[in-house]
Amino acid sequence: MLPIIRFDHVSVIVHEKTILSDISFSLCSGQKAVLCGKSGSGKSSVLKTLLGLHPVTSGTVYFQETPLSPSSVQSIRSHSAYIGQEPMLGAEGVREALLLPFQFKTHRDHRPTEAQLIEVLRRLQLPSDILSRESSRISGGEKQRIALARGLLLGKKLYLLDEVTSALDAQSRQAVFDVFSDPDLTVLSVAHDPEWLERCGIVFELEAGRLAQVRHNGNT
Amino acid sequence: MATLDIELPRMALLYGLCLVPWLLLWLIGLRLSKDIGISILRMSIQLALVGIYLKMLFDLNHPWLNGLWILVMLLVADLSILRRAGLKTRYFVLATFVAIATSILFSTAYLVALVIQPTHYYDARYIVPLAGMILGNCLQGNVIALERFYSVLRKNENEYATFLMLGASRWEAVRPYFRDAVKAAINPTIAGMATMGLVSLPGMMTGQILGGSEPWLAVKYQIAIMICIFTSTTLACIINLRLSLNTAFNAFDVLRDEVINKP
Repeated sequence: MLPIIRFDHVSVIVHEKTILSDISFSLCSGQKAVLCGKSGSGKSSVLKTLLGLHPVTSGTVYFQETPLSPSSVQSIRSHSAYIGQEPMLGAEGVREALLLPFQFKTHRDHRPTEAQLIEVLRRLQLPSDILSRESSRISGGEKQRIALARGLLLGKKLYLLDEVTSALDAQSRQAVFDVFSDPDLTVLSVAHDPEWLERCGIVFELEAGRLAQVRHNGNT
Repeated sequence: MATLDIELPRMALLYGLCLVPWLLLWLIGLRLSKDIGISILRMSIQLALVGIYLKMLFDLNHPWLNGLWILVMLLVADLSILRRAGLKTRYFVLATFVAIATSILFSTAYLVALVIQPTHYYDARYIVPLAGMILGNCLQGNVIALERFYSVLRKNENEYATFLMLGASRWEAVRPYFRDAVKAAINPTIAGMATMGLVSLPGMMTGQILGGSEPWLAVKYQIAIMICIFTSTTLACIINLRLSLNTAFNAFDVLRDEVINKP
């Protein structure tokens, strides 16, 4: 099977500081991988580089075997959902936040129905009355799940997750685990949470911007 | 009715008025003598030079010379906008020039050629002060627009990136900040129009009345200039921000660090 994501000897230098150094790995469709390591080891930078937010100094990033370039960056951005530690909802109300991407030309014709909104909230253990709340008045864990719900509504298959389970209680974590047990979804995540590490098939250990170790867990 | 001249000895008397604030500032312990001296000196020299220029411009009243004068004003305004907005000249000089030139030429031409209709459309007595006054106000607006847009964008880097990740094009992703910046730039003009005449007598009207014009005529010119300022500021800010998007981002739609001057 062809890899969906492939880093080929990728180095990233920002403001004369080496952030990633000679990183090579690949990830196939449906695989769940996690990047771990100390803070500052470059975990989040791997995700940002993949999304074209950090310029690649040397090497090549491939998405669906197409090298990342200004003309192809839109493709990776529209196929993936990035969810950060403190996700930005980008709208005042939760409903507007969920519908935000459907204002953009790319997604304009795929606006979800009310029933789809409620169904996706239910999957993530969120009450349907959260739709009428203000984005600034919901917790970090709820924000993460709203951002995740937005990815699901967009039908994304690739999820780039930065510490998503850190702010969740046990029940909501279970809901997130259940969502990602779907074999169709590919996950590249950053996490410390041992339970999350255990559930990921591949563990990439980073050390000072280098890929120090790759472990394969038996369960995928 | 001619305006009374201020003869040289009485000019000296006028400068004497500065002694009042100078003395008061000195008494409350503010040592600003140097700053005050430099400011008054600069004002006097600069205005004297403008007086010489304008005298020459009015005497010759040649279309090319008038055009050249406006071009110089536009260039100076261009550099001044970018310096005050904290942006690198090299990246934005063209966008800003195109924006202010288009908007100033459009609104001045509209006002002079269609509304005022002097015998010669290039008459220095009309186009030089009008274009200058519109440009001065337009300059303020553009400084606010650029400064606001790029500082808000930097502050909301994560939100902007989120919009991109949700499938927004560069234009769709910057739109909220774009609107915010244009609003901040034109708000002072809108507010100024709403209180015009209530809070203070507007500068141009005061000048015309002192120059011997009928109040009604002065009122009509004041309305004309305000409408032109509003039009050209809005036009210039929108064109300027829109064009600046072409140079301020890298090919991956990320704001380039090097385009902004570090404080």
